[in-house]
Amino acid sequence: MRLEQRIEHAKDKWKRLQEGERPLIFVGSATCGLASGAGEVTEAIHAELKRLRVKAEVIPVGCIGMCFAEPLVDVKLPGQPQICYSQMTPRKVKKIAKAHLKAKRPLARYAMGVHGGVAFGGIPPLFELPVLKPQVRIVLRNCGIINPVSLDHYLAHDGYQGLMRALSMKPEDVIEEVIRSGLRGRGGGGFPTGQKWKFCRASSGDDKYLICNADEGDPGAFMDRSVLEGDPHTVLEGMCIAAYAIGANHGYIYIRAEYPLAISRLRNALAQMEESGLLGDDILGSGFSFDIQIKEGAGAFVCGEETALIASIEGERGMPKPRPPFPAVKGLFQQPSNINNVETLANVSNILRRDADWFAGFGTEKSKGTKTFALAGKINRPGLIEVPMGISLGEVVYGIGGGIPKNGKFKAAQTGGPSGGCLPAKFLDTPIDYENLARAGSIMGSGGLVVTDDATCMVDIARYFLTFTQSESCGKCTPCRLGTKEMLSILERICAGDGRSGDIELLEIIGKAVQRASLCGLGQTAPNPVLTTIRYFREEYEEHIHKKHCRAAVCKGLVEAPCQHTCPAGVEAHKYVRAIGRGKFDEAYLIVRERMPLPSVCGLVCFHPCETRCRRGSLDEPIAVRALKGAAVRYGARAEAKTGKPAKPTGKKVAVVGSGPAGLTAAYYLSKLCGHRVTVFESLPALGGMLRVGIPRYRLPEKDLEHDIKIVRKAGVVFKTRAKIGSAAALKRKGFNAVFLSLGAHTGFNLGVPGDGSKGVMDCVEFLRNVSSGQPVKLGKRVAVVGGGNSAVDTARTSRRLGAEVTILYRRSREEMPADEQEILDALEEGVNLEILTLPIKIRSGKKGLKVTCRRMQLGDMDASGRRRPVPIEGSEYTREFDSVLAAIGQQPEIPGRLGVDVGRRQRIGVDELTLQTSVPGVFAGGDVVTGPASVVGAIAHGRLAAEAIDRYLGGSGVIEEKLAPEEDLSKLPPLSSETRARLRPEMPHRAVKARVKNFQQVELGYSREAAVLEAGRCLRCDLEE
Amino acid sequence: MADVTLIIDGREVQVEPGTTILKAAGQVGVRIPTLCYHPDLEPYGGCRLCIVKVEGMRGMPPACITQVAEGMQVTTEDEEILETRRMVLRLLLADHPSDCLSCRANLDCELQKLAHELGVREHGMIPIEREGTVDESNPVFVRDMNRCVLCARCVKTCSEILGLHAIDFIGRGHRTEVGPFLGGEIAKSICESCGECVVHCPTGALYYRDVPPQVEREVKVICPYCGTGCGILLGVRKDKIVSARGDRQNPVNRGNLCVKGRFGSYQYVNDEKRLTRPLIRKEGELIESTWDEALGLVARKFGQYQGDAFAAFSSAKVANEDNYLLQKLTRVVQRSNNIDHCARL
Repeated sequence: MRLEQRIEHAKDKWKRLQEGERPLIFVGSATCGLASGAGEVTEAIHAELKRLRVKAEVIPVGCIGMCFAEPLVDVKLPGQPQICYSQMTPRKVKKIAKAHLKAKRPLARYAMGVHGGVAFGGIPPLFELPVLKPQVRIVLRNCGIINPVSLDHYLAHDGYQGLMRALSMKPEDVIEEVIRSGLRGRGGGGFPTGQKWKFCRASSGDDKYLICNADEGDPGAFMDRSVLEGDPHTVLEGMCIAAYAIGANHGYIYIRAEYPLAISRLRNALAQMEESGLLGDDILGSGFSFDIQIKEGAGAFVCGEETALIASIEGERGMPKPRPPFPAVKGLFQQPSNINNVETLANVSNILRRDADWFAGFGTEKSKGTKTFALAGKINRPGLIEVPMGISLGEVVYGIGGGIPKNGKFKAAQTGGPSGGCLPAKFLDTPIDYENLARAGSIMGSGGLVVTDDATCMVDIARYFLTFTQSESCGKCTPCRLGTKEMLSILERICAGDGRSGDIELLEIIGKAVQRASLCGLGQTAPNPVLTTIRYFREEYEEHIHKKHCRAAVCKGLVEAPCQHTCPAGVEAHKYVRAIGRGKFDEAYLIVRERMPLPSVCGLVCFHPCETRCRRGSLDEPIAVRALKGAAVRYGARAEAKTGKPAKPTGKKVAVVGSGPAGLTAAYYLSKLCGHRVTVFESLPALGGMLRVGIPRYRLPEKDLEHDIKIVRKAGVVFKTRAKIGSAAALKRKGFNAVFLSLGAHTGFNLGVPGDGSKGVMDCVEFLRNVSSGQPVKLGKRVAVVGGGNSAVDTARTSRRLGAEVTILYRRSREEMPADEQEILDALEEGVNLEILTLPIKIRSGKKGLKVTCRRMQLGDMDASGRRRPVPIEGSEYTREFDSVLAAIGQQPEIPGRLGVDVGRRQRIGVDELTLQTSVPGVFAGGDVVTGPASVVGAIAHGRLAAEAIDRYLGGSGVIEEKLAPEEDLSKLPPLSSETRARLRPEMPHRAVKARVKNFQQVELGYSREAAVLEAGRCLRCDLEE
Repeated sequence: MADVTLIIDGREVQVEPGTTILKAAGQVGVRIPTLCYHPDLEPYGGCRLCIVKVEGMRGMPPACITQVAEGMQVTTEDEEILETRRMVLRLLLADHPSDCLSCRANLDCELQKLAHELGVREHGMIPIEREGTVDESNPVFVRDMNRCVLCARCVKTCSEILGLHAIDFIGRGHRTEVGPFLGGEIAKSICESCGECVVHCPTGALYYRDVPPQVEREVKVICPYCGTGCGILLGVRKDKIVSARGDRQNPVNRGNLCVKGRFGSYQYVNDEKRLTRPLIRKEGELIESTWDEALGLVARKFGQYQGDAFAAFSSAKVANEDNYLLQKLTRVVQRSNNIDHCARL
């Protein structure tokens, strides 16, 4: 049969299949599908068909790329569109068979989408879903659609049209067509494919070879496998075209032996080609002869490099050789050879099937067409995607990938596999193409794209990739063989907590030498993960080396337990959680107290960074560490009596200015442990700083704050309220040997819009201060709060308690509100309105109050913080009336000019990072006045640091370790939590909305003893892990 | 073919096409440090110490393997090149034992010389722990992979010069080693123990079991074994032969030797069991005699056994002329065709 006839026959057959009387069932049966259970799903389908006596065609297809939704099953009934079901199980098969096959009603509950452009039965069009809509499928066009073992299916989808067209052209014209298409090598190098062919065609030799590089070796990359498993003919057609163009009569596919399914699909396809005259002598009567052999590789990463690949085919050890001579001149068996990657060749068949202009219509100026990516890592929808070149990284991560799981924060994208680089959030709006990635220090590579979030340590990830490259280095050239190993050793040392100063510089100089002097691409790119993480995340390296801190709480050598490690004050959360698990609340209290004098405050209002890296969180939900600390204080505070007496006086005097958390902490340690005489000066009438005038009483009741202040008082600290101080130097003249400035950040920002000085417009700091100190506040009925942070929510809830109707105006979306999620939920529960994507632009005083003109916003491109930038919608202005407008858009310190210390950006006092000493010797500063508005626990950490530094300054040891709790007896631990299902934390009891919204009574009521013990039992005891 | 003109460090150089940058630089006296390069062998391009900069080429190509091209502009040394070379060398030193004094290649080590030349005193790195194979199975040489720099000279010597290919690389990354097929002991491989690899090794990774004493002078001789006629330089100390090495000037072997020539060509000279006078068996006992008596006895016996009763067996150790004469003697004088030669075995 001539091919034309066969094509007609195949198209006819496909049409009959589609329009026939039998239901069609397509099962995604690539390796990935099978791994996630497509095998048993297929069995279940056959069993159901038999049971229900339905005659249907069950067709195995390749992978459509949606790994997150596998196994996938499509069902098409006669006269109905094809419905795609996701995450199939044998149980779901039964239900779908009953509803869809028998009752002919698609089961929308399990359906993901419908093929074709129109929704059906409440099921949206599949290719309109965010995961598929931005995709352009050229290489993957048949994957998941056709049966990969059927040549007819391929022919019915215009298969081998490209080859037929190519054979009707002169080889030189085929090359010209590919040059015009702008196709560049998809294996990673990005060299123009047509040019490469031209060189090879121009070389003379007895024979020429065309090699398909299917040695896909990057961890996490599976583009080539998917294409070979899902649509092998599209690659083989590309090989025939390429061979014809360069004049090669022999072809090789170099494929790793770990791809057995792809190999069997290829063997099957090759046999079909031979049978149909698409391979062998005189292909389709053109006079062109070509054969293809499969060479299975043993899986060495370096064999993806073309000279090493050639050596491997020749039977040598797979080691690269210097170029020139290039394979195009002297390649396989010393003959001119051309090597193209699987994806490149799959593009070739499509370029010839359509034409160069069509292909060049996709992509950017220098990078044409599409690129497949294996999207993996911390992403909601991992999978294989194909997108036009030039799509932004953010679109891939947030659009197609659906963002970071558990609302996590994007940290970096690692592109190009182990030889690629890590790109931080500021590249989210960068269009992906060869040039941009190279400029950013990464590479396109074959298309691995691993997304990382805050729980990923960048030093650790560099270490991980180096582990791979150093073990895959072939050993031939020194820089790659030893440089990668040496870099790994240094990274291991840093991760183990033994990093030394100079290590970063050493990594850089080795990395550069390895890039410059290595023989092949493996070595030349191997330092990329290290150099890019140093370039974009240098501070993480520095923290590891100098502060022995891993912010992601990943590096084992530095991290005893993630909860303890992420606590700025270093509270041994894992230990007090364990003590609570044994019912020892007293012990738990003392463990908290060992690291801070403000246990009640932290137990109630801490923003609990300790919970962010809790390993239990990756199973179901983090341990409620903060709530357990609250329980430790509630049920164990009587142990305060056992905390001992202040140290022997040294006779040195210290002045602490400001009684916020930083001041209180420093005062406590300097007095109690160091024996200095500490006087705290507070300008307000009451103590506590922001704890008192910033945090509303319904979150932090008076008695709890007083409890903690009493602890500090008991340590021998003297307080002076309504105190006015002059300069720091004056304090020293008054006999204070050292001064600690912890003034806080008590000045709110103005809105910065016309009319923001109108009566009724206030900043939230002033407002909250007035409310908490009992000053009269004139608020009116209708209140707008501008902002989305914790202060905004505190302000809104406080206004609500004063009887107002409150609306929060926030310029970004709900997901991007920086405020604590629970606080937002509580506020909404209390009837606070939320208007997102809204920005006030003008305020006018009217007769009936303030006229606030707002503008609607929409989310645009990613900004450097990894959030979508709010952009105004033109003409969307509208006006609302309020009685008060409260600005909660940020705050800063206010430094009296006479203080006499250097003040930097945003009114922050400049200090030495390690000692907190200001520009004046003996004068130290910490807390919000140094960092800008931050957290209570951050201020406590500063207080500790300041106490250490001041004590050293005054001639002490600077050691403020307090040992209060008895030694933990590890032999008496209750059995480790071993549930096999998710078990969430007990719900925190809250005061009913009605009972709380009119007053300032505490909202959160705290765990009962039993609930606390139960919750502590969920701890996985990371620190005891062997 | 016409010469190629290129510029090396600002100097114009004319060389034959196909010449490498390294050789072209050598022609004008520009020295480029090398380690894996050896004039006996095809260039390898592995150590990356001879890296240079070539205008228009990416990265730093190695001079030993990059061929010249018309108009090429080469820089053989600048700060960046030196820094990179030093880094490569530091890496090699980090991967190498630092006990030079106890190394057999001390003062005869190319790595040591390079460190001196590039001014590298300390590598300043984390020492790369290596548990290299130490193979003492061979009776004449030892392979200590801890001192190996993976220059591939031994591998290439064995395959390019010997055509034997008894050894190659095993493993990947920094654990890569040289060894016989599938690893194991060299003595159990197809290795012929010629010792050529030891000669070509730049460091102390390969060394002879016997420590050669300091030689006072060398004497040019021809190997006493087979008829190939390899040139040997015998080392003499206190009037005794103490060593043997290949004579690179000899057109037959150009410095190469086989196991016998290298390890068995002189030891017997001073052996106390060596016969220095003829012995004649008298009444079942070997009695020391004179040359006249012995030769007379032989001549008499030759006369008694003529024709097929006579057979002669000749040695490859003697010259062609000697073999010819024995053949002549056998056939013409003794009238026997029973003449054979050990090389026929």
